[in-house]
Amino acid sequence: MADVALFLTDLALGLLLGCVFAVVAHGLNLIWGVAKVVNVAHGEFIMLAAYGAYFLNVSFGFNPLLSVPVDAAIGLAAGVGFYFGFLHRELRGKESMGLQSEMVTLVATFGLSLVLINAAQTLWTTTVVGIPWSPGSLVYGPFQLPLGGLYVAFLSVAIIALSHVFLSKTYLGNAIRAYSQDIPATQLVGISPTFIAAIGTALGFCITMAGGALLTVWLPTGIRPAMGNLYAPISFVIVVLGGPGKMWGSLVGGLTLGVIINVGQLFVGSLSVAYAIAFLVLIPVLLLRPEGILR
Amino acid sequence: MRLPAIRSFGPTVWGIGLFLILLAGSAPRIPVFLLTLVIGLLIWATLAYSLNLITGLTGYVSFGHVVFMALGGYALAFGIGTWNLHPVAGVAFGAVVGAALALGIGVVTLRFRGVYFAIATLVVAIAALYIVLEVKELGDGQGLYLPSSVGFQPLAMFYTIWVILAIEIGLTYIITHGRIGYGLRSIKSDEDAASTLGINAAQLKLFVYTLSGLFAGAAGGVYAWNVSGASPYQAFDLGFSLQMLAMIVIGGMGTLLGPLIGTVAVYLPSQIFLTIPVLGGLQAIVIGIVVVVIALFVPGGIVGTLQKYIPEFRGILE
Repeated sequence: MADVALFLTDLALGLLLGCVFAVVAHGLNLIWGVAKVVNVAHGEFIMLAAYGAYFLNVSFGFNPLLSVPVDAAIGLAAGVGFYFGFLHRELRGKESMGLQSEMVTLVATFGLSLVLINAAQTLWTTTVVGIPWSPGSLVYGPFQLPLGGLYVAFLSVAIIALSHVFLSKTYLGNAIRAYSQDIPATQLVGISPTFIAAIGTALGFCITMAGGALLTVWLPTGIRPAMGNLYAPISFVIVVLGGPGKMWGSLVGGLTLGVIINVGQLFVGSLSVAYAIAFLVLIPVLLLRPEGILR
Repeated sequence: MRLPAIRSFGPTVWGIGLFLILLAGSAPRIPVFLLTLVIGLLIWATLAYSLNLITGLTGYVSFGHVVFMALGGYALAFGIGTWNLHPVAGVAFGAVVGAALALGIGVVTLRFRGVYFAIATLVVAIAALYIVLEVKELGDGQGLYLPSSVGFQPLAMFYTIWVILAIEIGLTYIITHGRIGYGLRSIKSDEDAASTLGINAAQLKLFVYTLSGLFAGAAGGVYAWNVSGASPYQAFDLGFSLQMLAMIVIGGMGTLLGPLIGTVAVYLPSQIFLTIPVLGGLQAIVIGIVVVVIALFVPGGIVGTLQKYIPEFRGILE
């Protein structure tokens, strides 16, 4: 009986963790889906958001949930800057993203990630910091779940659902989806491709940095300049699992990964092997269902 | 495979050859601290040429090249610790492990193109770290260290890595100047068109990837010999993959001279600035900015730009 309770608790924790993974990957998913660009510096923007939440906590006593809107606003600005700095030259006047342009953006954003990691290490040193915030836990019989994780999971699903509503119900959202499907046709109906691509990228960064702030709830200690080296690959795997450009894909991929890591740890008995399995799941998925788990 | 005639060697080949011969001749006479610097330079040059084989020649960006280097180093440490191998035999074992690994990983990951290949290699490298942490034979997460009987043998290390690099550059030249080179170039420009022309793209890619794993494994072996062991978090540092990529991007991808120039441009400043901690971080930031600028505005790197803007260099540099 105790084993069943342990299993269920781990499963629930895995689902909660999966939600925050999902929102962290969701920003990458949007940019990948709209602009067909993979941002290698994705992890570094998560790191910047986490530091943003940390400094807001130190200076003004904000808890991580309060710093989400601030980080999201910074993300919007960063996204517009990123689009015009890195993507505009490659996307301008093109009808689709070629393999050559893909390599250019891959290498350029990789350079950006080098700059950001080292700038963070120079400014904030490699010391690990964290935000001491825990709103207690929800206890029900043998089950015990952290309340902070529950709030974060709720907000994460809300953010993903909101982005879905925005993309499917508003004019601007529909324009973004049209752009991601067929650029020349978008131009024919009078939509400016540059404007739409910039908005889409900004939205992706906004969600990425909001996710970075939410992630700090799970990291009472663990905010450091190199943290992107773990969360960027996790986001890549999640997006590929769910299928790039599919809005519910990030949630499906995130939950899958969260459950594999938590429940896998219970069965294999080692966290690092659980992580290895979670990463390697990508290979069979790419081989068998390259378009992602979702149809 | 027909070897190119010596008469057809351009000035670049003679230049690189002269550079290597001068290094080999002066190695016994230069002070030890300078020799260790040169050994580091040659190790990084070997790694840069190894990544150049796959990323430079076929355009498949690999973010996970560190996996061959790390496991090559582990192979050397394991071979010396368990079977009492001579370090040079350990390096050879590292090369074999690197090649076998590249063959295994390549069979699966080379099916993916563009971003998917880059992500798959990255993910394999990270998963390899997490697996090595749990393997008892490989130190159970604590790393493997060389027995003190091996000692510090700078000259032996220097000549080992020198021979490896010379073979690697020679092979790069033979590959780029033969039938295989034409095949690889056509894969780089358009893989589907290349396939319809009867080029066996899968086989060619796997060939250069295995070769690339072989040399990265050998370089990783010498690296582990140099730092007397392999510990998981240092050996699997993704920063190594990124530094290799920065080197070939800055020097010029797919060229014969580019990786060497890139290595000198990235490695020497990093070693000089290492003595001043504050500048160490700044140097990495500058390298990042240079990579961004080169990727966006001068895609040919140093060598490609020289060829483009100075016509006299076109026949000389390759």
